[in-house]
Amino acid sequence: MVWLKHLSADLTDPPEVVGGKAHGLVLLHRLGLPVPAGFVVTTEACRAFLHDSLPDGFWSSLASAVDTLGAPLVSVRSGAAVSMPGMMDTILTVPPDAVPEAVRSVFASWHTPRARTYRTLHDIPHDLGTAVIVQRMVFGDRDEHSGSGVAFSRDPDTGARTPFGEVLFGHQGSAVVSGTSLTRPLSALAREPAVWQDLLAALDLLERHYRDACYVEFTYESGTLWLLQVRPGRFAGAAAVRLAVDLADEGVIGRDEALVRVSPEDLRHVRTPRLVAGAEVLGRGTGVCPGVAVGRVAVTADEAVRMAVGGPVVLVRPETSPDDIRGLAAATGVVTARGGPASHAAVVARSMGKPAVVGLAALEVGRESVVVGGRTVGVGEVVSLDGTSGAVVLGAAEVVAGGADGSVRRLLGWVDDVVGAASGDDADRLRAAQVELRRA
Amino acid sequence: MNPVLHALRCVGSTSPARVAWFTGLSESDVESDLIDLAVAGLVSYERAFGAWSLTETGRARDAFDTSAELDASGTRPALAAAFEDFLVLNPELLDLCTAWQIRSDGTVNDHTDTAYDARVLALFADLHARAVEVIAALAAAAPRFARYSLRLTSSLRRAQAGELDRLADTMDSYHAIWAELHEDLLATRGITRWSG
Repeated sequence: MVWLKHLSADLTDPPEVVGGKAHGLVLLHRLGLPVPAGFVVTTEACRAFLHDSLPDGFWSSLASAVDTLGAPLVSVRSGAAVSMPGMMDTILTVPPDAVPEAVRSVFASWHTPRARTYRTLHDIPHDLGTAVIVQRMVFGDRDEHSGSGVAFSRDPDTGARTPFGEVLFGHQGSAVVSGTSLTRPLSALAREPAVWQDLLAALDLLERHYRDACYVEFTYESGTLWLLQVRPGRFAGAAAVRLAVDLADEGVIGRDEALVRVSPEDLRHVRTPRLVAGAEVLGRGTGVCPGVAVGRVAVTADEAVRMAVGGPVVLVRPETSPDDIRGLAAATGVVTARGGPASHAAVVARSMGKPAVVGLAALEVGRESVVVGGRTVGVGEVVSLDGTSGAVVLGAAEVVAGGADGSVRRLLGWVDDVVGAASGDDADRLRAAQVELRRA
Repeated sequence: MNPVLHALRCVGSTSPARVAWFTGLSESDVESDLIDLAVAGLVSYERAFGAWSLTETGRARDAFDTSAELDASGTRPALAAAFEDFLVLNPELLDLCTAWQIRSDGTVNDHTDTAYDARVLALFADLHARAVEVIAALAAAAPRFARYSLRLTSSLRRAQAGELDRLADTMDSYHAIWAELHEDLLATRGITRWSG
C-alpha cells in the first residue's frame, strides 16, 4: 500500500508526503538514534479520505501494518507538512483494533473550523491534508527509571551552549498540561546516567546535522531513551544572535550565513529587557508579552489593586476570569498556571502591554501563598518574570537590555564588513547586508 | 434570578455603568437594585476601589437562583449541548484575537498592513456568524444569553467601521464580552474554575 510507509532510514519521501514530524523521525533513524517502531499514513491518504475516495483496501492494509508493529498499544499522531501546533488530533494509548477510528479522527481534524481559520491566517493551503504517525507506545510512567521531557541543545533564552529543557520523572509527557506533575530542569536527568549520556550525544549529533540548535521531545522507559520528535531550535531575539555568532566561531557556519540567519526582527528584540541568566528560576511557562516585571505577589484581583498603592505588584492566578482584568490593570505583570499564547490572560496582558507568563504548569495558587516548582512564595514576597522566556524568578532579578553581551557587537561588526561602517538603525543595516549577500 | 446580582458574578467587581451595559438596564435602575441587594447582604460597595462586588452570600444566592431557573425551565440539557458548541468556538476566537495583536512571525500587528487586517476581520465575521447561532441556542435555554449577541455584534461593527481596538484591546472589546459569556456559562453550569 503506497499510502502506508514504514518509518525507517530508507524512507525518502519529502515532508509534503509524510509530514514534517515523520520527516524528522526518518532523520533520527538515519542518524542511528532510537525511535519507537512505527509507520506513517501519507497526506495523500488524508486527501483521498477527505474526498471520500479512499479505497476499501486501505483499512485492511492499515490493520496489517498495525499488526506488524506487534505492540499492545500505539500512539496515533497528526503531522502535516506545515506546522499547525495544537490544531489537530493526537490520540495516545490506542489498542490495535481502535486504530482505524483514531486515524479517521485525525484525518477529520484537518477540516475543523479552527484549523481552517488557522490556515487562512498563516497562508497555508487548505488542500494539503495531514499525515498520521502510528507508533508503538513508550511509557514514561512505566517504573522509577522512566520519564519524559523536552530538550534544546542550547539555551533558547540566551543562546548559550548548554543543553536546556525540562524533565518529568515517572510520568508521560502529556501529564505536564494537567498541572499536577512537577517538571524539573533538564539537568536533573543526570540521575539516570545512561539516559542522560544518550540524550547529550543525540543532541550533539543532531546539531551537527542541522548545523543549528535543535529541539527534541523524548520519553525514557525502564532506563532506555526514545526520541519522539525533532526540529531545529527556532531561537529568537538575543538568543538567535548569540547562536549565530557562536556557530560561526565554532566553524559550523560561515559569517555570511550567520548574518543571513539572524532576522532584523531578532535584532530589534535584543533591546527588549530580559532577566540575566543565573537567577534562581522558580519555574517556566510561556512568555506571551515581552518585558520584565518585578513586584510583590498578589493572588487575587482585590489584593493586587490594594497592594499596588504601595508599589509594583505581580498578579499570580490559576487562570484569568473577567474579574481579574482590574487586578491585571493594577499589576505590573501577570503569571498564570494555565493557558497558552492564545488564552484570555495572554490577550488581555497584550492589550495592556503587561509582561506576562502563562501556562506555568508547576504553579499552585493558594490563599496566602503560591507554590512554584515545590517552593512556597508568600503573598507580598517579590518575584520577577520574563515575558520573553517565560521564566519566573524569586526576588528582584537583574535585568539586561540592549545587546549587553558581545555577540550583538560582533554581529554588527560583520555587518560593517559587508555594507561598510555607518550609523543608522541596526536592523535596517542588517537587512541591507542580507540583500547584499543574496546578490553576491 | 436577579440580573444585577448575576452581572456582578460574570463581570466581577465593577461600576453601575458596566452592570447597566451588561444587563441592558438603565444606570439608575441598576443603582437602585444594588442598594436593595446591599441591604439584603448580597453585594457590597468597596469605597477603596469605587466598585460593587458580590458577597459570599450573594455569590451563593446567584448560583442557587441560576440553577433553580434551569430546573424550572427544564433546559439544562439544551444549555449543556450549546455550551459544548461554545467550547469549540472559544479557542478559535482566542486564535483570532491573538492574530489581531501579533502576526505569525511574532511581530506586533501595527495595523499598517490593511490587507492582513481585512483578512483577520473577515475571519472574525465568519466566526461571529457561527457564534450568533450558538448564542441563539443558549438563549433558547436561558433568554438572558441573547444580549451577548447584541453586544458582540456591536463591537464587531465598530471594529469593522475602523475602531481597531474594539476586537481585543479595550474593556468593552469583543474579547472582553466573550470572556464574560465564558464566565457566565461556567457560573450557570456550576463549573468552578480550576484552582491550582
